[in-house]
Amino acid sequence: MNCLSKIPTSADWPAGPPRLTDGTIAVLNLEAQIDGLKDHGTIAETAALIDKLVLRGLILGRISDYERAAQLADRLVHDTATDAVAFVARARTRAVFHRFAEALDDLDRAARLSPEDAAAKRERAAILQALGYYYETLETYGAAADRGVQFEQAAALAGFWAEHGETETAQQFYLDSVRSYRGVSPFPLALLDFQLGVMWMRQDRLNEARACLGSAVRRVPAYAAAQGHLAEVDADLGEPEAAIARLTPLAISSDDPDYSAQLARILGEMGFGEESTAWRRMAASRYDELTAAHPAAFADHAAEFWLGAGNDPKKGLRLAEFNLRVRKTPRAYDLLAQALDANTVGAASARCSAHLAS
Amino acid sequence: MSDHFSGPRALSDPAADITDLYAFPAPDSPDHLVLVLDVFGKSGPSAVFSDAVIYRFRIRPVQIAAMGPEAAFAPSQTEFRFECTFDIPSGRTDSGRPLQQGRCLTPDGRTILFRADDENGGLDSGVQVFAGQRSEPFFLDVRMIEKTAATGKLSFKPKGSDTLYGTNILAIVLKLEWRKVLEGGPLFAVVCETLASGKRPVRIERIGRPEIKNVTLSWKQFDQVNRNLEIRDLYNSEDAFDLKPDYFDVYRARMNANLEFHDGLDGKIDWPFDQHGNHPLTKLLLADFLVVDASKPFCETSYFEIERSMLEGLTHATPGGRWLNQDFMDFIYTLYVNGGNGPPINDGVDAPIAWSSKVFPYLAPRNVAKAAAA
Repeated sequence: MNCLSKIPTSADWPAGPPRLTDGTIAVLNLEAQIDGLKDHGTIAETAALIDKLVLRGLILGRISDYERAAQLADRLVHDTATDAVAFVARARTRAVFHRFAEALDDLDRAARLSPEDAAAKRERAAILQALGYYYETLETYGAAADRGVQFEQAAALAGFWAEHGETETAQQFYLDSVRSYRGVSPFPLALLDFQLGVMWMRQDRLNEARACLGSAVRRVPAYAAAQGHLAEVDADLGEPEAAIARLTPLAISSDDPDYSAQLARILGEMGFGEESTAWRRMAASRYDELTAAHPAAFADHAAEFWLGAGNDPKKGLRLAEFNLRVRKTPRAYDLLAQALDANTVGAASARCSAHLAS
Repeated sequence: MSDHFSGPRALSDPAADITDLYAFPAPDSPDHLVLVLDVFGKSGPSAVFSDAVIYRFRIRPVQIAAMGPEAAFAPSQTEFRFECTFDIPSGRTDSGRPLQQGRCLTPDGRTILFRADDENGGLDSGVQVFAGQRSEPFFLDVRMIEKTAATGKLSFKPKGSDTLYGTNILAIVLKLEWRKVLEGGPLFAVVCETLASGKRPVRIERIGRPEIKNVTLSWKQFDQVNRNLEIRDLYNSEDAFDLKPDYFDVYRARMNANLEFHDGLDGKIDWPFDQHGNHPLTKLLLADFLVVDASKPFCETSYFEIERSMLEGLTHATPGGRWLNQDFMDFIYTLYVNGGNGPPINDGVDAPIAWSSKVFPYLAPRNVAKAAAA
């Protein structure tokens, strides 16, 4: 099984599939970059350090890295308020925590300082996509693609169409991006595999999802979110032991409660009540911390937790409502509908329709 | 570090990002030529070489084709290649570094095995190879270089701040008994490349001379032809020994513009353009390979001496090439700004954190603890 619903042929990679740096080496070197940059700070280097911290947070599932990146970005803007690079860096960290309005303010300031800043334009497109402004997003990505930037734009468009569930188009852009990739770092392709895997999960095409997420994990074994989603697929495909084996080390090592929450759910479904409760308590405590510190960033995942293994539908509803105020995406509406269902069984559809109409 | 940040693609994987190339007669053995390739500037303690990258040394015998204003080299078509590749690390060494094995494929097809960070390296019939993390031998004040470009005024302070103080790189050192393992010479042109390995290896970047892609090609604002174009990925993709005519004028225009900018920093013209509208150094610098005379005795400050002699119609007296700790930024700014017709320009940084050694593997051991800021 491949990431794609059709199997790529040799014509897709005339020179063979790309040879990438081993994922273990890539993570070692990412650590080495962060260690090497942390005491040396030109503006460009501090911005690079912020990028690397965000990447490590994404790969290893470390919220503490995101928090450190955000602190550095605040300091960078404070120290160099006339440099667009600083505002773009801070916008990126604010977007990580779903502080989209503030992130867009930063990008506006960056645009005033450097109107042609390509990084700022890419960042803006990603935020518009997260906010559900799909037409504007597509316009930005399309314009960038017209200018001939290959891999990054094809990858962005693959992610865009994957989020929309347009599987054929997403696959085409996925192939375009993989074929145009000229680097050796495994991270960009692993991130792309992950996006496609999530797309297949949302389509309930679990075998395709497993193939994509498996590909992401083969490229970067330490990729926490890919391992976590793969565990979810394992469990849904009737292999809860495999899921538990994947999740347990993540739940122990990561400061992201998603993994302990999933573990609690799967163990509960398997009838291991005591263990499930222990993981549930750990997740609950951490979600409370995170929704207090970064409400916009964690409202959706926390809502999902309280509606599921957390078993507090009212709290889930409050967070789902808050999440919809942050961004009005189809997923946010779905989550709210789920929360309404959980709180008012039988009247869900009517209430959801009324809410949508308002 | 003269080649770090040398284009977007080079930055995509730090272990493929070349920072410097050095070539010098071995200080401890006149029969040997030493080549050093540095990658991964400012690398932390866990840094390792990529298992997907070929680290390639290309060496060609070269002749001096012309002297005077039209000075030019004529590299031979004969090429000697040394290619180093690395495994995925397995475990850790006693010092906590990842344990990584490497191999060097020589031009005659031998494979020399070595362990990264082993100071003795691998040795086989005229070739000794070291690879590992070492102290950054280069030194410069990046902020003042950027300020100079931004303001149009030489901005170096009497006491500068070394941007690289206390940092480390990953280095590959080849010590070659050149009469035995190479042919021709004693004048050789050297280029190093990183390539994505695979069925058809693809060049990620290349280096010959120092500070070509950064100080000499990176500033866009002076280039009236391609003011908004990042040209360095394109430049990296070219074969250093066979620059295609398609984009040659793009590089020429950028280099002319940046050299003219530097020449004007002291308010006078030391390098009048020739009748073709080119800076006198452009043609030589676009022959972007490091030229070293392996027959000359070791010298610490001989970069570009061969080329300067050629321009003046004289026979060179030193090995040229480049030693690890030459104060390169002082040299290049003096060369570009006044051509040696004025006072030496000092960037205020005169030494690395640790001087390199005169014995194999030459580069100083890595800085274990982060040194205090300069």
